[in-house]
Amino acid sequence: MRWLALIWKSLMRSKRRTLLIVGSLILSVFTVAVLQSLLTTLNAVTNNPNSSNRLVVRHKSGLTQMLPRSYEAYLRQQSEVETVCALQWFGGYYQDPRNFFANFASDETTLFQTFREEFGAAGISEAQIKDYLRDGAGCIVGESLAKKNGWKVGDVVPLTGTIFPINPRLTIRLIYKSPKPSDENVLHFHYKVLEEGVPRMKGLVGSFWVRTHRPEDIPRFIERVDRHYANSAYETLTETENAFNLAFVKMLGNIGAIIQGITAAVVVAILIVTGNTMATAIRERTTEIAVFRAMGFSAGRVLGLLLFEGVLLVGVGGCLGVLVANLAAGAVRASLGMAMPFFADFAILPDTVLACLAGAMAIGLLATFIPAYAATRRPITEGLRAVG
Amino acid sequence: MILGLLLSAPFLAYLAWLIWALVAYPIPLGYNLRSLWQRKLSSFSTAAAIALVVGIFVVVLSLAQGLSVAFVSSGRPDQALVLRPNARFELNSSIERDRMRILKVHPLLKRDAEGPMASAEVVVVKLFPMADGTDTNVTVRGLEARGITLRPQVRLVQGRWFRPGLSEVVVPRKMQGRFPSLELGRNLRMGGRDWQIVGTFDAGGASYESEVWSNVNDVMQAFRRESYSAMLARLESPERVEGFLKAVEDDKRLKLEVIRETDYFKELTKAGDPIKILGNLITLILTGAAIFAAMNTMYAAVAGRTKEIGTLRALGFRQREILASFQWESIFLCLTGGLLGSGLALFANGIQTGTTSFETFSDVSFAFTITPGLMAQGVAFSLVMGLLGGFLPAWRASRIPLTEAMKGG
Amino acid sequence: MNTDRFDLGGGEPIITLRDVAKSYWREALEIPVLQGIDLEIPVGAYIALMGPSGSGKTTLLNLVAGIDRPTGGSLEVCGHELNSLDDDQLAAWRNAHVGFIFQNYNLVPVLNAFENVELPLLLTGAGRGERRDRVEEALALVNLTDRMGNYPRQLSGGQEQRVAIARAIVTDPDLLVADEPTGALDAKNAEEVLALMERLNSEYRKTIVMVTHDPKAAHHARHQIHLEKGVLDKAVEVNR
Repeated sequence: MRWLALIWKSLMRSKRRTLLIVGSLILSVFTVAVLQSLLTTLNAVTNNPNSSNRLVVRHKSGLTQMLPRSYEAYLRQQSEVETVCALQWFGGYYQDPRNFFANFASDETTLFQTFREEFGAAGISEAQIKDYLRDGAGCIVGESLAKKNGWKVGDVVPLTGTIFPINPRLTIRLIYKSPKPSDENVLHFHYKVLEEGVPRMKGLVGSFWVRTHRPEDIPRFIERVDRHYANSAYETLTETENAFNLAFVKMLGNIGAIIQGITAAVVVAILIVTGNTMATAIRERTTEIAVFRAMGFSAGRVLGLLLFEGVLLVGVGGCLGVLVANLAAGAVRASLGMAMPFFADFAILPDTVLACLAGAMAIGLLATFIPAYAATRRPITEGLRAVG
Repeated sequence: MILGLLLSAPFLAYLAWLIWALVAYPIPLGYNLRSLWQRKLSSFSTAAAIALVVGIFVVVLSLAQGLSVAFVSSGRPDQALVLRPNARFELNSSIERDRMRILKVHPLLKRDAEGPMASAEVVVVKLFPMADGTDTNVTVRGLEARGITLRPQVRLVQGRWFRPGLSEVVVPRKMQGRFPSLELGRNLRMGGRDWQIVGTFDAGGASYESEVWSNVNDVMQAFRRESYSAMLARLESPERVEGFLKAVEDDKRLKLEVIRETDYFKELTKAGDPIKILGNLITLILTGAAIFAAMNTMYAAVAGRTKEIGTLRALGFRQREILASFQWESIFLCLTGGLLGSGLALFANGIQTGTTSFETFSDVSFAFTITPGLMAQGVAFSLVMGLLGGFLPAWRASRIPLTEAMKGG
Repeated sequence: MNTDRFDLGGGEPIITLRDVAKSYWREALEIPVLQGIDLEIPVGAYIALMGPSGSGKTTLLNLVAGIDRPTGGSLEVCGHELNSLDDDQLAAWRNAHVGFIFQNYNLVPVLNAFENVELPLLLTGAGRGERRDRVEEALALVNLTDRMGNYPRQLSGGQEQRVAIARAIVTDPDLLVADEPTGALDAKNAEEVLALMERLNSEYRKTIVMVTHDPKAAHHARHQIHLEKGVLDKAVEVNR
């Protein structure tokens, strides 16, 4: 039997107590892991590496104001620009308004180049792209969306418009795979459908998504475009895609503060409960600790053994908690992904796991330290005299 | 509902028995309380942990409630909103001028000295800068003076209401903290022109406290709108709304949809659902953790007092009295935490914050309101924790044999 | 130094106490427990420390065993001047030179007999094989080889104490220190334990210092030292 065995057996001294504490820890760490992952998911939205070359041009007053389609010509002329894709959030639904997915009316001729990373340029079928381009009433959908509704290429999807008073019937011409799950919960159809169906949208669009040749060109481009249209009838606001997404995330409000607040409260609670448990466990062994020291275990060694015990306890609880969080990640994706598109990408990242584990160990250390230190400072004779 | 009652029945029965036991049996509560005091460190730690969980519980509840209140208090059952079919929300809806003309003179509308009680309104969304430097979408509502009458919970706090044709706006007082540009007397730039802020208003927590108001024609001109968004109308009584609904929807000239105002806001409230569900889930999980912690403390308490319990039994206390006694000890412990936690939650009281409803695509301000009702819920919650966490240990205590009293230390 | 007062059989002293004193402080008051102790205990002695309650016998035992420090005087035990050792050195010294036997056995309940006896060896750096050999040897000596895998709760009081003795001797210390070793045992078990201790003293030349109230236990020792109010009263040779 070596040290680890000794420590383990000490923890098993009261199986019920160890189990209850570990249970408590599993639940708490699970909560913290999920909450922190929610934050990292949101932050990732605004740090999308794929977006480095892309910008959004929209009306200065906000997304509900339209820009003239004619702006596209000016944008195309700029030397930094590779492609321009007009995009309008359609906001329709299929059968049940609660089955939310993103749907857009977009420029089919430039859609695939502008968003090549999202459409998985490698795996996409040229023939199917041609079919989509040819069919004015065609649409493209992401694989997970198609799977969820049991759609195949060739199926007709009737959309009910909420923002716009049209209910287009669209034929699926292409199903694509995307590296991020949230990008597959999307449907695109031809912009003409919207223009022709909704008179007030003729010649107007909500936003232009621009792909530049190089990221370094972006600041110059932004400055030029916004200056060009300043004080015009339709003023523009141009920003990077990440900045655009950030605005959406910010719309959720002070979620960051609330999550951190709850995390802090949970951490404090874990600290208190663990501290109390370790203190009780150590107090029970006052005589035993004195006997160890009499046998020749130095105060430092006893302290080390006790600290290790506390860390092991919290460590086990922490590992299991993170494990459960991982298992539940799928469920979180499914449920929250419905409500907010970003959360379809929810995942427990290795960084979060490490942070939670390290935090747990630190808590174990801190919580155990005070009672353990006090125990080793007590004179041996006092410990031997103590009852129980 | 029935399921809830069925599930809580054994629970309530047990609680009832506990209360009766307190009165009928000579339970040594003083002993229990003193034991809690003696094991100060354990008791305080557990109470503190429970306090934190209850605090979170109350704050999350108030968040959910704040979101609900923001929408629900905005509607009247005797008023209805006329929208474009399938629009679901004012922002998506449009009603052409000629149809609005027909609507405005509908016979079913309630009338007062000034004519039909209806307001043609337009709703747009505009980016406003917030105090932290970012922009967020804010609803700008153009309405007629009638519209103010139709919303009696709204009252002017400072300045005066807007006048038509002068590009004047009024802003909610609650928004002024978060949006520095909304100061009385200052100018606001919207739709290519300057508007003067002539007044501030309160709406008793209703969703209007997230909207900037002006005259409907001014807004339509500035934002180049040809059509209205909706019409808000009052009927003679809540029962008349059905009739109005049928009349309008059957009218082929109009091709419009009618929804009772209260129902409309109920739909909007659903925006807060994901946050509510998340909050509830987190609270539930943390409660489990807290109950484990409480159970742990109580088990340790029982284990440390086997001799005392044996002695109590030798003295004549019956098993069920020991059970009740330890159950009450656990309840006291958790109640202390609950009271502490509810008190802690008060620190969040009054904090103004906002989120964006994706439905209205604009900001919704609300405040954390920690009401006595919520605090009571928090305390009741801790009572449940005390019951659940303490039951098994108390049961164990009641099973300790008399012979324990005789055993050596 | 009047060692001639206490003739304990002569030979190399394993324990030398010079003017040892121990006091406790309660608030500002100094409460002396031991005063002016001068004593030489030779190797192979078997001493019973006796005296009324409060006489300081347990305190003296604690000092000799190195689990407490004197407030005055010096002690040399097993060749080391204890006052010159710091806490960690003292711990290492105890591990090498002292074996403890307690009234309440003080075995670790979550470890079985083998593991309990093995505990002091964990500090010696001995390898697994060597540790196992020494534990088996110790348990054989106390006649509990067949109980190696049992946990303390599965052993009788007498068996527990014998496991504790095995633990005390597993590092082959020169000095055994016992505090009321038979205090929690019935007559039969007490007799077994005392016989064992006598064997350790006579056959294996272990020096034993024992605090006891039990006249039977005291009778097994070869010398009895009586303490009265913190000072050495008399030393008596036991007639066997």
